[in-house]
Formats: sequence, structure tokens, C-alpha cells
Amino acid sequence: MEISIKNFGISGIYVKAEGRLDLDSAVEYGSKIKDAIEDADETITELVLDFSDITFISSFGLKVILELYKQLKAQNGSVKIKNISEQIKSSFTMVGFDKFIEFE
Amino acid sequence: MFRTIRSKIIVMTVVTLAVLLAAFFCYAVIFRMRTKQLMLKNFAFSLNSYIQKIDEDVLAIEDNSNDLALIGNLFYSTDRNPTITYDVITKVFENYPESLGGGIWFEPYVVNPSKKRTCFYAYRNKDNKVVVDKNFESEEYDYHNQNWYKQIKSQVTKENKIAWSLPYYENIGSNTMMITAGTGIFDGDKFIGMSTVDWEIGSIIKEVSEMKPTENGFHLFENNRIMKDYFVLLGSKDFDYILASTDPYLDNESLIGKSLKNIPWYKDNLKYITYITYHNRKYVPFVKYSKNGLVLIICLPKSEMFKYVDRFAIEMFLSILFICFMIPTLSYLIFKRYIINPIDKLTDIAHKIGRGEDVEIKLEKPEEFAQLALTFDNMTQNIKSITKERAKINSELSIAKSIQLSSLPGVFPPFPERSEFDIYASMTPAKEVGGDFYDFYFTDDDNLMFLIADVSGKGVPAALFMMTVKTLINNISLIGYPPKKMIETINKKICETNKQGFFVTMLCGIINIKTGKLSLINCGHNPPLIRKKNEEYEYLCLNSNIALGVVDDAEFEIFETQLNEGDIIFTYTDGITEAMNDREELFGEKRLLACLNNIKGENQTKEILNNIKNDINNYTNSAPQSDDITMLIFKYQKENSLMKTFSQIAIPENYKPFYTWLHSICDEWKLSDELKNKLDMCSEELFANITFYAYPESNGIINVSIDNSNDEITLKFEDEGIPYNPLEKPDPDINLPPEERPLGGLGIFMVKEMVKNIFYERIQNKNILTLKF
Repeated sequence: MEISIKNFGISGIYVKAEGRLDLDSAVEYGSKIKDAIEDADETITELVLDFSDITFISSFGLKVILELYKQLKAQNGSVKIKNISEQIKSSFTMVGFDKFIEFE
Repeated sequence: MFRTIRSKIIVMTVVTLAVLLAAFFCYAVIFRMRTKQLMLKNFAFSLNSYIQKIDEDVLAIEDNSNDLALIGNLFYSTDRNPTITYDVITKVFENYPESLGGGIWFEPYVVNPSKKRTCFYAYRNKDNKVVVDKNFESEEYDYHNQNWYKQIKSQVTKENKIAWSLPYYENIGSNTMMITAGTGIFDGDKFIGMSTVDWEIGSIIKEVSEMKPTENGFHLFENNRIMKDYFVLLGSKDFDYILASTDPYLDNESLIGKSLKNIPWYKDNLKYITYITYHNRKYVPFVKYSKNGLVLIICLPKSEMFKYVDRFAIEMFLSILFICFMIPTLSYLIFKRYIINPIDKLTDIAHKIGRGEDVEIKLEKPEEFAQLALTFDNMTQNIKSITKERAKINSELSIAKSIQLSSLPGVFPPFPERSEFDIYASMTPAKEVGGDFYDFYFTDDDNLMFLIADVSGKGVPAALFMMTVKTLINNISLIGYPPKKMIETINKKICETNKQGFFVTMLCGIINIKTGKLSLINCGHNPPLIRKKNEEYEYLCLNSNIALGVVDDAEFEIFETQLNEGDIIFTYTDGITEAMNDREELFGEKRLLACLNNIKGENQTKEILNNIKNDINNYTNSAPQSDDITMLIFKYQKENSLMKTFSQIAIPENYKPFYTWLHSICDEWKLSDELKNKLDMCSEELFANITFYAYPESNGIINVSIDNSNDEITLKFEDEGIPYNPLEKPDPDINLPPEERPLGGLGIFMVKEMVKNIFYERIQNKNILTLKF
């Protein structure tokens, strides 16, 4: 899975990945983002995930999203998902993630 | 060998002539025998006449002698006048021309005691005149001492007065051979003298000697038992002497008067001997006895006697033989010229005509063959025109055959782009054009119709009807009716077009290539065979309907079944089951079943068909094919598209191949993206569950199947790991604030959310989780 992580502003991280967010790739996806958050000079409060090239998300992907959310929440930050398809969004809805994840 | 007229005629002629030859030969032999008998008889007859003459002479001589004795007696008892006595003697002799001479002789001193000799003698001189000779009383002659006197005297008695002397030569007169008959003269009981008559037998002998029936014949003239026959009472002496002989090997002169024993070939029973062998020649003896005991024997050389008869017989036989060879040769030559040669000529012409050569037939002789040749010529012309017509018909027939054959699908594989099935068919017509046919085509994108049919009857009419039926079926089946309506419409239409009373038996199948659903209709046809994969062939017993074209409003039953990958349907016409070997035994359904089950391994339909074809050929051997032989084989080889399975080791890395497989199925089944997504998500959760919980310490197998039948998707996960029912996990509370929500339990929850139904089973060490969408 190709993941590109960019810092923006002083406390924001922009992540763009493509492909499936599943059993195979979710752990890698999550750990790379966590590393980026810890490696940042400032406390990260804004995490933007670009889902324009994500084709599939499974429960493992959702679990990673929940972990990331919990981490940012602890840092008073938030998780935003951009360009999500309706189909993937329905998975978020199914498990009630739409109540705390912001979609743009 | 004897089949040709030529040889038959030769044989008949030869046999006939052989019979004729044998008959003539027998006739010649009999003729020769009869002729010989006749010759012998004739000869014996002429011999008889001689003997008869001798007998007559002998009697005359004896009478003469008796007459003289009477004269002598008269002389002695009367005046004893010699002059009168001489006169009487002379007169008597004139009555007996056979006699040479004779006289009366008295015993010494009987007539005159002073005169010793008294005798009277007269003889016939050279002028045949009877003259008296008185010189016999002389001392020199001394008649009492002559042999003839003694011989006669010793024989005569008073009862048997006559006797004969032995033959002797008279030296005094003519020196001829003589024999003397004498009659005793008695005075009371006293012998006083005798009368004698001389008989010149030389003349008889001469006559008989000159009688030579053949060139080298000879005869023996003998006197035997003369005295015995006539003078038995006087003497018992048996005279045995030769009077004359003309035996060419002996000195005949010296034999006269001697015993017959001097003749080397003489035998007492000569009369009963057919031939004697003398000096290496065969002679036939003719033996004849006279009344006074003379015997005449004439020996004739056998070969010479029958020389002319034999020669004639041989000549006759040879000429018959010649005729016997000439007649067949001539008749054969004539026959050959006038019958065989024209036949050969006609045969030659017929051969030429047979080869298609143009020949002018001309025969002038004989009349019958000229007629035949004319007829032949006409016939040739007729044959030519008929052959022309025949050739035209034949070429039209072969065109009809090729049209008929080309109307049947003949290119295999017929749908090279379709790998879901394999079909092969063939039709071998029994005659030029047959009544069997088969067909197959797609009636729409998914349905393939195949059929095999047999039109009643054979030849051109059946073929024409077959073409009509085939077109009709094709047209109606493409309308798109359901099978039942389709077949009933076809039947109705066939009834309408069928004025000749044909009918058609047909087996028809409509298969949905996608689903494997098969509808079979049997219209009075032979039952088809089915082979399920990895099983044996068996007859598919479906209710047979009535044949097409019989009852126009007939109803038809449809048989439905499901074909799976590898299943085979074998259809055929009765040309197979009724194929006969040279003992007229049928091939039969049992043999067909056995032959099919003998085919080893998984084969393409073409191989199966050729195998059966070979089996039939081997069975019928040289027996002619009596009916069309048609087969159509369908093999379904599409994997069940509605049921797919996946099997792998349960490790996370293997999820990727799994979802690739899953996606391809979703694409194939054209499932919606939403459903595809759901399947993917559920599968991943369950795949991971098995990986982590069913096989926590080891790697096991995971089996997944997905089924698309009955308008729902059924996904089944199987593993042989530790018992684990993910459905027992409590559902997470999705209404909790995110900070409190646990990370686990999300997946199973999502699965439950997405499926229509889900249930867990533990069957025989297996965890089975079934999901329905």
C-alpha cells in the first residue's frame, strides 16, 4: 500500500493512501500515521485522511481509524476524512463512526 | 469345366459315339460268331451229302452181291448151265452202275468133283461196257487163296450172309483201289461159295481229296467198323485201317490199309473236339460216319477257314471306328462354325459394349444369329439411352445425397468459442439418401436445442420428407415457445404436411448451457443414455410420447433434469440397436450399453462416437448395413457456475488470493458493487477469525464456497480448527462515546449487520458458518 504523509501548518498531518484498507494493510497504515504523529515537533491536533483512492475498508481499517481517533482525541485533536465514497462511508455509518468522524 | 456348350456337345458326342462303338463292336463279334457257326454248319452239311452218297453206293453194292448170290444158288441147284448164268450176271451188272465188277466163286470141288475151281466173273471195261472174264479159274490166280476170299469167307454165316474185305489194289486190271463185298452161298448149312462185287473206292477218295474247302485243309478218309455194323454175326474182328489220307506231313501212300494210330492227331472222340493243334496250327476237325462204318474226317485250319470272316469283321470294325471319329469331328466343326463362332463373336461384342465401346453388330449367317444380332443391336441402342438416363438419375441422386448430408451440421466443433459443452454427431445412410437426421442450434443466447430423428421409410421419399420436417422443426423452435408448446406445434404442422402417412420418431433436448437445466422430449424414439460424471452409462427411462405426425392434437410430456459438469447424453437411432451381423443377430440395447461402458477414461464426444462406430462395424463385419446409423452425443462440461469453492491455508497472506477469486466471481455473476463490498468485508472478518481463533497455534485449511442459486448468495466458511462460534460474541454498543468504545468485536457486528441470515454449525470436527445475502 502506498501511503504519503505530509505535515501541514504547525499541527496538522495529511495522509493520502491508495488501495484497500484491510487485514493486510490496516496495521501498516495505522503505524505509519502514529509514527508521523509522534515524530512531529508539535502536538498534532488535526489529522486529515484523504480517502479518494481508498477502494475498500474492512473492520480492521475501521479499528485503526478508531485508534487514531482516540489518540487525537487525547491530544484534543480531531480526524477528518476527505473525499470518501458513499459506499465506504456506509461502513462508517454502520458501526456509528459517523457520529465522531468528520467528513469533508 | 463342362459349363460351355462346346464342351457339353463334345462330351455328349463322345459318349454317344462310345455307346455306338460298343454296340457295333458287340454286333461285329456276334456277327463273326454267327457267320462261323453258319460256315461250320454248311460245311458239315456238304460233308453229309458225300457220306450219304457212300451209304447209297454201299447199299447198291450189297444188293448187287445178294443178287449174284441168288444167281449162284440157282446155278448150283439147277442144271448148272454156265452160259445162262453169264447172261444173267451181265444183266444184273447193268442195273448197278456203282459196281466195278463181280462174280460168283465156288468152294473147291463143290460144283464138279473133278474141277477144283469154278467161278464166273464180269467187269465194266473202259467203255463202261460189262464184259466177261473167264481167266480167274486159272491155277495162277488161285482165287481160294486171295486175301479178299479168305477175309469174306471167315466173316459170313448163314444168318449174316454179307461181309466186306479189306481194301486192296487189284494188280491185274486197272490197278485201282478196291474193296469187295461178298455174300455167302449156302447149301443147307454148308458154305459152298460166295458172290462178290468190287467197288472202286478210289474214285470216291479222289473226289473227296479234291474237295478242299481251304487252301491248306486236309482230310482223312477211313473205313472203320464196316464189318461190325453189317457182319456182326459172322465175325467179331474190328477193322482198323486207313483208306486214304492227304495229311501234308505224312507219307500217305504207305499209310493205306494201316492202323489209324499212325495218324498222330487221330483220337476216337474227335467228333466232340472243337479243334486240334497240329504242327503249331489249329485245325477244326469235321467228323462224319457213314452207315456202313466209314468215317470221313476233314481238318480245316482254323485261321484260314475264318480268314474272310475275321477280315470282314476287322474291316467292319475299323470302318465303324473311323465313322465314329469322323462324325464328332465333323459335327464339332460344323457346330463351331455355325453356332459357337457366332456366340463367341456376340460375346466379344457384348464385352465391348460393356466397356462402353461403339460396336457395329453385323452377322449375316446363320439366319437365327442374324436375328439375334439385330436384337442385340436394338438392345445396345436401348441400353445406351437407358444408361444415359440412369447416369442422370444417379448424378441427381448423389447431388440429393450431398444436399441432404450438407443440411445436417457437419463441421465440428460447431461452436468453437463455446467451451461449456461438447457435441458430436454423425449419420451413415444405408442407401443413397436416408431418413435419419440430427440437428442442433441455439434457440437463444443460452438455450441449445439438439435432436435426433428417424423418418419412417427409406430412400428419396423419406429423405424429402425428412428435409421438410427438419426445416419445420427449425422454424418453430426458433419462435421461442416453451418446450411443450413448441413440440405440440411441431407435431401439428407435421400432421398438416404429411399426406403420405409418414411418421417421425424424435428425441429432442433443450439445454440451458448456463444452468445445465435439460428438457428432454421423447417422441416414440429409442431411449437415450445418460452418464453422470464418474458413473456408468444408463438408459434414461422417460415416458415416451407418440411419434410425430400421427395424431395432430397429441399432448407431449417433457422430462426435466439437471446436468452437471462431465455429464453425457448419448442419443441414437434404431439403425444401431437393429444392426445385424451375418448370423442375423441384432446389436441390441444391452450390447450398446456394454460398449459405452467399455470406453475407458474421460473422452470427447467424437472419440465416444467413433468407438461405438467401430464396435458396430466389428459386430456387423461384412453384413450389409440395413438402416441408417445415426448418433448424437452431448457432453456438458461447464463447471457449475452457480457454486464455487475456494480452499487455502489459513494465513493472513492468503486473504489476497481469496478476495481476488471472490471479486472475479462477483464480476462473473454481475453482482452489484454494494454486495461485492459486503461479501468482501464479511469474508475478511471470517477469514481472519479462522486464522486467529480456529487455528491459534497451527496452520489449517480453510474452505469457502459461494452459491448463487435460489436467488440468494450463500457463503459458507469451513475449518477443522478448535470449536469457535463467533456469533457468541456480544455486540458492541455503537452508541457509546468513541472514547469508551472497545476496539474488538467490530467485525462480527458488521457481519451480522450486513447478512440476511447467518448461522453456525459444528459438524464432524468442522466449524461451519453459513452466511446468506
